Amino acid sequence: MIVKTISLLGHKDHGKSTLIGSLLMHTGSATQVRIKEAEAYSKKLHKDFEPAFILDSFAEEREQEMTYDTTRAEIKYKDLAFAFIDVPGHEELIKNMISGASYGEIAVLLVSAKADEGIRDQTKRHLFIARMLGIESLVVAVNKMDLVGYDKKRFDMIKDGLSGFIEKIGFEKTMVSFVPVSAYKGENLVKRSRFMNWYKGKTLIDLIYSGTKKQSGNKTGALRIIVQGFLEGQRDFAVGRVVKGNLSLTGGFCISPGNLPVKIKSIIVKGKKVKKAIIGENVALQFDKKMGSDLRGSVISNKGDCPEARAKVRATIFITKKLDKNSSIRFNGSDIQIKKMSVAEYIDPTTGTRSTNGKMELLSAISADLILSKQIPAEKFDETRELGRFVLYSDGAFAGIGTITGY
Amino acid sequence: MIKQDLTVLEERSIFVLREAKQKFGKVAALWSMGKDSTTMLALARKAFLGKVPFPVIHIDNSIDFPETYEFRQDLAKKWNLDLIVAPSEIKPDLVGSACCGKNKPETLKKVMDEYGFDALIVSIRRDEHGIRAKERYMSPRDKKFRWNYKDQPAELWDDYSSKLDVGGHVRVHPLLDWNEIDIWNYVKRERIPVNPLYFSRNGYRYRSLGCTHCTIHIKSNARTVENIISELETTKIEERSGRSMDKEREYVMQRLRSLGYM
Repeated sequence: MIVKTISLLGHKDHGKSTLIGSLLMHTGSATQVRIKEAEAYSKKLHKDFEPAFILDSFAEEREQEMTYDTTRAEIKYKDLAFAFIDVPGHEELIKNMISGASYGEIAVLLVSAKADEGIRDQTKRHLFIARMLGIESLVVAVNKMDLVGYDKKRFDMIKDGLSGFIEKIGFEKTMVSFVPVSAYKGENLVKRSRFMNWYKGKTLIDLIYSGTKKQSGNKTGALRIIVQGFLEGQRDFAVGRVVKGNLSLTGGFCISPGNLPVKIKSIIVKGKKVKKAIIGENVALQFDKKMGSDLRGSVISNKGDCPEARAKVRATIFITKKLDKNSSIRFNGSDIQIKKMSVAEYIDPTTGTRSTNGKMELLSAISADLILSKQIPAEKFDETRELGRFVLYSDGAFAGIGTITGY
Repeated sequence: MIKQDLTVLEERSIFVLREAKQKFGKVAALWSMGKDSTTMLALARKAFLGKVPFPVIHIDNSIDFPETYEFRQDLAKKWNLDLIVAPSEIKPDLVGSACCGKNKPETLKKVMDEYGFDALIVSIRRDEHGIRAKERYMSPRDKKFRWNYKDQPAELWDDYSSKLDVGGHVRVHPLLDWNEIDIWNYVKRERIPVNPLYFSRNGYRYRSLGCTHCTIHIKSNARTVENIISELETTKIEERSGRSMDKEREYVMQRLRSLGYM
């Protein structure tokens, strides 16, 4: 069965964990043990049944009713399976949110319809991050409709309030849909709600289903193999993964950086000698000679089609920790020092507005030129995702993410 | 139980195993002779051209089932495994989770120190337990084996950022995404040898294997891998229902894992 991974986004307390718990129940995907466990904890905390407890498993998570770290739950629907990634909504846990959301092929954003909740900065920040991570397809679930009397006006207000922003940060209109739901009561999740006859669209699960059919990853194209390193003690044997295109033994190859010509004698996939390898496959490649330099993070391509190695790139960067002198990027397994960074634009992730004046702030973004201590085989994120993205470190700790937009 | 695409799972596990070998100097794996860690070894053979390139550790409390010992001996020979048997002493005053929570990690600590391993491959899966679902592919443990689950490293875009604490190690979880049924489908597809205790005898079989003290068999007539797969397709019972330690008290798995349990 094909499993599609879905990232849940949204401000804390807008109902992400409740939604997954509820979907698990309404699709018959939760085991009796988990449901009973959640029932027992709800009772213990003197609450009505809380579906979120099916998901939140840490003691602290149930007691404080807050998700700390990302988790995964699977739901079967029609010919597909959905793996929902729950993420924490709290600002301080953005590192865990980014980790979880990065695995999503599409995203579902939860926004509470309640007047005192609604669209928040964190709601929009999550959308901004999701778009940066490469998510193209989005379903916005306007939640807690039961608490606002299933009022169409509240739904329209949130839809109108978000539509402009969503397009501004780069989602295409045709890839985005809105649905009014009550995660707690199960309205419009799997079955159409009889309390919201004014809504004529699909249920949440059907929107997710059609959303996954729209998602696209790397476009097909020129061969790119990212090298993990040598097989232990064998400098003529490299291991790596095909991230784009197809590999066959005909013709010559080159390694970037350095534009080194190389001959591949044999391809081994899962222990067997083969003539070809396709995108997604992990390969072991035997060269015709022992290699002198370390190859971790290098790229193998067909001869004459090597990505250019660059020490200067233009990137969009989302910052979660203050950058100090000792900042670096992690690019396909290698740590590379940032020698110099000049900001071209400051981007407010809660409005999408770009400006040449501003200040570098945490939980916000910049577009900047980076001068690196070493050349990297970079391409634009839109061309080859794996060669157009990096993780930022400052003083050895996670400091944000970046996508390459130019050179 | 959702059946996933085995090839997708296989590729991810191979990538994680190779990444572990690249990143860390001295890698070892835990091998309980159960279906998961044996599947992991089969994947390692694929990742490293037919050879398991790291030692495998069995924490032996001497009360495993006789079938398990026999299986260990046979497969270690067949796959030419570098087997480290770490004897763990069962203390009569410790039972259930107290026993698992103390004996196993303590013995493991000793072995890790003695050999100086800095990475340990553990074949846990997210679908086994809500707490295991919170794990990363690579996850640091400090000198005392503690898991700081409140501040886990970021992990995205195939970048496993776990760093070594001084004196600590990194747990590597290549099977994190697999479901129980995927393991069995893979065992079938790849004809991976499995411990005979998983198959039904006199109407009972073991679904999850621990030691003789804490593992309870389930009612089942599944005598073949195919039978097990069809049993799992319809079951509503959790895999670890036969593991008594999970049920003693709330959050027992969280406490055990934060203290170093596997």
